Parts: sequence; structure tokens; C-alpha cells
Amino acid sequence: MSGIYVHIPFCKSKCTYCDFASYPKEIGKADLYFACLYKEIKSRAESLKGYVFDTVYFGGGTPSFVHEKYIIGALRQIKNFYTLSDDCEITLEVNPGTLSAEKVKAYKKIGVNRFSVGLQSADDGMLKRLNRIHNRQDFLLATDLLKGENLSVDVMIGLENQTENDVKATIDLAEQGGAKHISCYALKPEEGTPMFGKYLNGDLPSEDETADLYDFARKYLEEKGYHRYEVSNFAKDGFKSRHNLNYWNRGEYVGFGVAASSFIGERRFTNTEKIDEYTACILRGRVAEIFTENIEGDEREFEFIMLNLRKDEGFTFSEFTKRFNVDFTEKYKEKIKRVQKYIDVTSEGIKIKPEYIYVQNTIIIYFMD
Amino acid sequence: MAIKTKENLRNFCIVAHIDHGKSTLADRLMEYTGQVAERDMEDQLLDSMDLEKERGITIKLTPVRMAYKAKDGNEYIFNLIDTPGHVDFTYEVSRSLAACEGAILIVDATQGIEAQTLANCYLALDNNLEIVPVINKIDLASARPDETAQEIEDVIGLDGSDAPRVSAKNGINIDQVLEKIVELVPPPKGDDDAPLKALIFDSYYDNFKGVICFVRIVDGTVSAGMKIKTFMGEKQFDVTEVGTFNPGLIPKKTLSAGEVGYIAASIKSIEDIAVGDTITTTTNPAPQPLPGYKKVQPVVFSGIYPLDGSKFNDLKEALLKLKLNDASLTFEPDNSAALGFGFRCGFLGLLHMEIIQERIEREFDIDIITTAPSVSYHVFKTDGEMLIVDNPSKFPDVSYIDYAEEPVITANIFTPPEYVGAIMELCQEKRGTFTDMTYLDSKRVRLNYTLPLNEIIFDFFDGLKSRTRGYASFDYELSGYVKSNLVKLDMLLNGDLCDALSLIVHKDKAYPRGRALAERLKDVIPRQLFEIPIQAAVGGKVIARETVKAMRKDVLAKCYGGDITRKKKLLEKQKEGKKKMRQLGSVEIPSEAFMSILKIDSST
Repeated sequence: MSGIYVHIPFCKSKCTYCDFASYPKEIGKADLYFACLYKEIKSRAESLKGYVFDTVYFGGGTPSFVHEKYIIGALRQIKNFYTLSDDCEITLEVNPGTLSAEKVKAYKKIGVNRFSVGLQSADDGMLKRLNRIHNRQDFLLATDLLKGENLSVDVMIGLENQTENDVKATIDLAEQGGAKHISCYALKPEEGTPMFGKYLNGDLPSEDETADLYDFARKYLEEKGYHRYEVSNFAKDGFKSRHNLNYWNRGEYVGFGVAASSFIGERRFTNTEKIDEYTACILRGRVAEIFTENIEGDEREFEFIMLNLRKDEGFTFSEFTKRFNVDFTEKYKEKIKRVQKYIDVTSEGIKIKPEYIYVQNTIIIYFMD
Repeated sequence: MAIKTKENLRNFCIVAHIDHGKSTLADRLMEYTGQVAERDMEDQLLDSMDLEKERGITIKLTPVRMAYKAKDGNEYIFNLIDTPGHVDFTYEVSRSLAACEGAILIVDATQGIEAQTLANCYLALDNNLEIVPVINKIDLASARPDETAQEIEDVIGLDGSDAPRVSAKNGINIDQVLEKIVELVPPPKGDDDAPLKALIFDSYYDNFKGVICFVRIVDGTVSAGMKIKTFMGEKQFDVTEVGTFNPGLIPKKTLSAGEVGYIAASIKSIEDIAVGDTITTTTNPAPQPLPGYKKVQPVVFSGIYPLDGSKFNDLKEALLKLKLNDASLTFEPDNSAALGFGFRCGFLGLLHMEIIQERIEREFDIDIITTAPSVSYHVFKTDGEMLIVDNPSKFPDVSYIDYAEEPVITANIFTPPEYVGAIMELCQEKRGTFTDMTYLDSKRVRLNYTLPLNEIIFDFFDGLKSRTRGYASFDYELSGYVKSNLVKLDMLLNGDLCDALSLIVHKDKAYPRGRALAERLKDVIPRQLFEIPIQAAVGGKVIARETVKAMRKDVLAKCYGGDITRKKKLLEKQKEGKKKMRQLGSVEIPSEAFMSILKIDSST
């Protein structure tokens, strides 16, 4: 498995919690940006010869905010220079309020076969406080345009004054919109965002309140047939996100555009977050990487453990041996012993007990060096 | 600039209440005598340790030599010996006083004489020092120099009318102080031809020269090449270098009677030099040492353990080095079930303890855990044996105890009359016994209390300051041991006894302390994967309980666009935090937890 990520750093307005590379005021640079993006896509082709990519993911920002021609161009460029598998999963993030029938038609025509819709909340007041550009009605209009498509919906937990009823209403709305997959994220106030101020003021639910809401969401999603397969991801049978699973399986991927990360041949690298820096580099025929690291030795194993344990199913020992030529239970005997209360170990493999999935960082740390 | 006669030599120190401007005046004197060019001056030169600068207190004694051309046309050499300004360091003060003939007494013109000024002034008078009163801070609007002069007369019995009125901060009338030193401080006596007697009043360890002994030559002379010994130690040393302070070390050929300077003699082991001891020569030794040597007795004890057990030897090395400069620090190896190998250390007081703790962490870069301070108790067992217990984990089971005694102090508390009620209430809470109250004048009352030392060491001073808006001050001395109903308060974490958290407390205080400590621990112990009961127990009976709830979530953040590196960094950070914790059984405890007792409400 391997994937392609494309970053679209434009949006209509910044949400209060957002610390991703997205610049509402820079839309005037779209022509230049996409020209560079196409160039970058081409420039990596030679080194990625022989790869067959199973997924393509357009993330942002708001990919559906920019003119569809840019998405068409990017995907065409990818298809021109890379080999995609026949059943390639091609996802596009969309936001209600930025879609039109024409756009949807164009996306489908070029091959987009999965849409990820940012709903976050079904409560219009809450959406407004988050500085989202849409309301409940917009979401229903958008999903109407996407009727019958493979839909994923983003839902947020831990919002100001959020109640179980709010969470329930949001999940109901997502289901009503036809969601086959739901990403249910707990809000994490990042420094430098307006949300961080709210956090400092104590306006957000406490850790326990958020955990309670999350537990509620998890149970309610399960009732509705959305099964958790990863910390924050729930899907109806057959609708797991292959692109995200590739991350958790420690598969390879290449990222294009600002802030995009790649993992190819045991090398991780990340592009600059700044549009100007990115275009300047690409125009001069250089890479736009600001960070690169070669993963060596035990760190590879640690990454594998850390990523795979995010999944409900964990990983199998045979997979571990296949990857690293190491007997996991033998090498990690002592460490397994220290966390045995929190994990399930069978003859086949290892996973974190479902009730401890939410505190897995604390468990995973035991596997570091 | 060599001195011709001892007539032109003046050895003096400065005594003052904390904040009354001692370091500032010292800086001005040095500046005025051209010791340091003004532009080169870092503020408050004498306070050389960072810690001292940060806290505005003097811990180490740093002498300095100055040349001053007086109005009589003669040139004088001044040796200024600085003194520590905290009640923990009374003995250090006494040693430096013994090296002087005079003392400048600084009185803040806005605050008047305070308890500590008085205590140090009496110490100076006890050492037969000539007192030079100086009224400082006359530049401030609230200064009342006339009243202060009167107070000097009323309270100390010195003539205050002639005292220089200065502003050390603004350099006003500094010359008057210098003239007064010449006029009032007598030149040192001493016989160059008599056998050597040199008083060690401080020392520090130099990596190249070995122990540098700060000395006052009382009789005789000393120069490089001589063979010396001390009265308390057994070993002999060859003097490699002698000199004076500038304030750095300035080598000289000879130090003669009356002078203040240093001796280096390749002394490698700290145990060989005791501050307060007398140095003499091996060839022509003095018959007796100088009087006044006291073995310093620590009054507060706590365990210091390396956070990382493998750093035990580094910690030992650090303590040895610190002890070199600090005769009052004691330590011996100790072993805790919870914390492993470490040291039981003795200190002069809590400030002293904090200083040592901070120096170990800063100067030697060793992360340490310090356990709650304790005093030294006498426990009489039913079989008649007496145990001296300064470590709660060594406190015997109640069934073996006939009775126990705790150390008490007599406290002198000076306060304006309006705070008497508040102070009495505080002393009451601290199990104090009222002994006396004296009106020194209409604005000043002296209260005398007998108080258990273990109530004083925690937060008595802070409590006193906060209840009297800073107006009261106090000093104390140990007055002996009294019978007391003592119990051991144990803390259990997740059902396991943590010996490093145990305390010896008066029975009446066990319940409130136990409850407060459990509450405090609940706040400082981070949530873990499981619920952690915290229990306080006396003699196996649980008297208080709190719970650290299990952690609920730590991973729900979105991991975007495959930025695994960022996620790894977050984990690294979490792991670093974990390294700062101590694993006790299954529970991880941050090192500050062991000092929780110091942070609980003073009313308990």
C-alpha cells in the first residue's frame, strides 16, 4: 500500500481552532501555487517509478473552495506521471457552503470517488462560534449534491457548552446526510489559535467532560453501525479510509504542496508551510523540504508499534516479523510485561484493550527505546 | 601600597537587617576607594553567587581589601568582611565578626532598627567590636533620620547623633562612612613574632589550588613554603600561596598579624579544614587555639536522593564540594525503600536547605528529590535506650516507645504593638508557650515564646511576615528538649507505604496535616492509567484519603497529513516529563511531591 497526499492551503475563512497551513487571504496566489504544485508532482515522478499508489487524498484548507479546474489539473498531473491502482481511493475534502452541482460533477468525472465533509457540529450557534462558514442547512444541501457517494463526515467533540444531545444531533445529521464513515475528533486547542484563548479562559469542557462526551459518541456511533477501527475513526462495514489506514500501517506516501509530509524509503520529509517559500523553491527547481529525517534501526520498529496500536485491531506478529525480521514477543518481552494490563496479546498479535485506546500515548511510551 | 604599620589597618564588617542596603553600601565603599571602576561594576559585587543575587541575600562571606587616603593625609588599608544576612547563618556571622575589630551597623532610616539588626549588633558587641552606626536611605521621602538616630541611642545605647547619614544607592556621604571607620575602628593588635595563630572564618574549594582558607592572622606571619596544621585536624600542609582579596585573589609574599587574607596549601580533603578552627605552624606551634570554635550543629534534616539512581556518586561528589565551602552542611549515606540510595543531610535551616538543593541542581546539574525536612527527636524506648531520630522512617513503632522529646526554641519576636494579637494567635497554632512580652518603646514590642522547632522550620517565618504585613521579625535559639506526644504520619500511595513521605508530627496535628498532605499530593501527582488512592495513616489507622482519578484521554488530536514526526515529538516530550518522575511501585510521582508538606496551609 502507498498513498499520495495533496495539500490545498486555501479556505474562505479560518476556523477558530485551525492551526493547519491554510491562508484565506492568499487565494490570489492560487494560479502560481497550482503551477508549482503541478511542477512538484512531476519532479518526484522519476524517483517514484515502480510505485503503484492505492490512494490519493486532497486535504486542506478547503479543497472544494478553490476552482475545480485546479483539482482537475492536479489529479490529471498525478495520473499522467504516476501509476494508480485500478480501485484507487481518491478522496477530496469538501466543506458545505463551497460546493455546487458543477463542482461535484467535475470531481466525479476526473475520478474522485470519496468525499470527506467537514460538519463538526449540527448546532448553528456552535458553528458560528467556530467561525465555520456553513450552517446545518448548508450541510444538507451539500450532502444532497453528494447523494449516493462514499461519504465521510467530520465531527468534533469537546466544544464550548457541548452536551450529549448536541453530539447525538450531530451524529444523527451525519447519518441523515449519508455518511458511511465518521471521523470523530476531540478538539485540541492549539497555541496561537483563537480557541486557545477560550481554553485558557476555562470556557471549554474539562478533560473528563470531553472524555464523557467521547464515550457517549463512541457508543452512539456503534449503535448506528459505525465501528471504530482507529482512535478517532468509525466506519460502516467496508468503508474504512484506506488512505488513513496506510498511515497507521506505516505504509509509504508522498505529499505534494505546502506543509505536506512524505514517507518514502525510510525517509520522512515535510515541505515548508509558507506558500511564498514553497513557490520560490519549486520555481527554482529545488525541493521545498524544511525537514527531513532518515528513520533507522529500532526507531522503525517503534514507529510501527506507535502507529499500528492506534488501530483497534493492533497488528499481527507475522506482519512485524515480515517487516523487520524480528520476533516481536521475544524482543519486547519486558516492555509487554510492563503494559500487560492495558493490552490484549494473543498468539496472533497485539492490540490495546478497547477501554484504553484513548490513553494509548501513555502506554506507547513504554515501547520507546 | 604595602602597609607600613598595623596602625593603618582596619578590619570591619557590615551588619544590617536584610534589605537595609548592606551590599549596596559595600559596593559604594569599593567604588569610592577606587577598588572597582564604576563602569566595571556589576551591581552588588560582593554577592557573587547567582543565587544570592536572585534572592538579594548574602550567603558566602566574600572579603575585600581597599586602600583609602584619609583626610588626615594617611593611607589606610580596609578589609571588609561581608556577613550573611539570614537567621540560618548566625554562626557564620559570628566567625566573620571574630575576624574584625569593628562593625558598620546600617539602619534603614525608613524602617528603623529591626530584630535581626539588633541580634547581629549584639553579636558584634559580644565580640568586642567597635560599632559604627550608619543611617541609610536618607534619599527616600519616608526617611526619618532624626528618629532613627534617637532609636540607635534608645535601643542599642550608642550615640546616634554623630552617625553618617547616607544614601548608599545614590552615593551620598560615603566619604563620612570611610572617615568614621578610620576614626572609630581600632587598628588590629597582634604580634608578628609570636607563633602563628590564624582564624579560619571561611573557605572554598578551588580546582587548582585546593581549599582556599579565608583567615584573619591574629599573631605571627605566614608565607609560602611554611608548614602548617590546624588544631582540630591532624594533617600538615605546605603553604603554596598567601594573599589578599581584591575581591579576587591577589598573591602576596607574607600575611602578618592583623591582616585578613587567604592561605592555600594544596589541601585536598575538606574534612581537614573546619571553619572556626585555628591554623598554626608545625615548627613553632601556638600553645592554644583561638577561642570560639564551635562544631556547627545542623537543626533541620532531610533526605536528598538523585532522581536517576545511577547519579549517586555524582551527588556525593557535589555534596563534598559544597561542604568545602559550607562547614555547616552535614550528610551521611541513607537508603529509602521508595527512593533508593541517597543522603541524609543536615542544614542550619530551611533557607540553607533550599540553597543547597538549588546549588546541586544548578551548579552540578543533578536532578534530585528532597524529602520533607525534619528536626532531630529523642525517642526513649521501653527498654531504656534513647534513640536520636531525624529521619521519620527510623521512628520506632509506638509499642516500643516509652516517651519522646522534641527540640524547642526560644523565639524573640519584635513587632509593632498592633500585631501582637495576630502573632499570639500564630504562636498558639504552632503549639507555642508564651513566656514574656516587653514594650521596648511605644512602637515596639518584644514577644518571647517557647516553640517546638518542628513548627518553626516549615512556614513560621512566612506566616509571621504575612500576618504582620512584614513588620515583625524574629530570631531564635535552641533551648533544649521537652516531652511531646509524637506520632509518625505515614502516606500510602496505591496501598503502598512511601517511606519518603512520612513525617513525625505532634499527635494533635496528625489529622489536619494528614488531610492537607493527601489533598496536596492529589494535586501534584498527575493522573495515570489507573486510579491511585492516597491515604494518610497513623499507626496503621487511615485518617485521610484522597484519590487521583484515572486518566481518561491522551490521544484524540488529529494526526494530520501523515505528519508522524510531529506526533513522535509529542511522545518524546511526554517521555521526557516521565523521566522527571520517580517510579514508586506502579505509581509515578513528580519530585516536588516529596516537598508537599512545605506547601500546605500554614494553619495546619
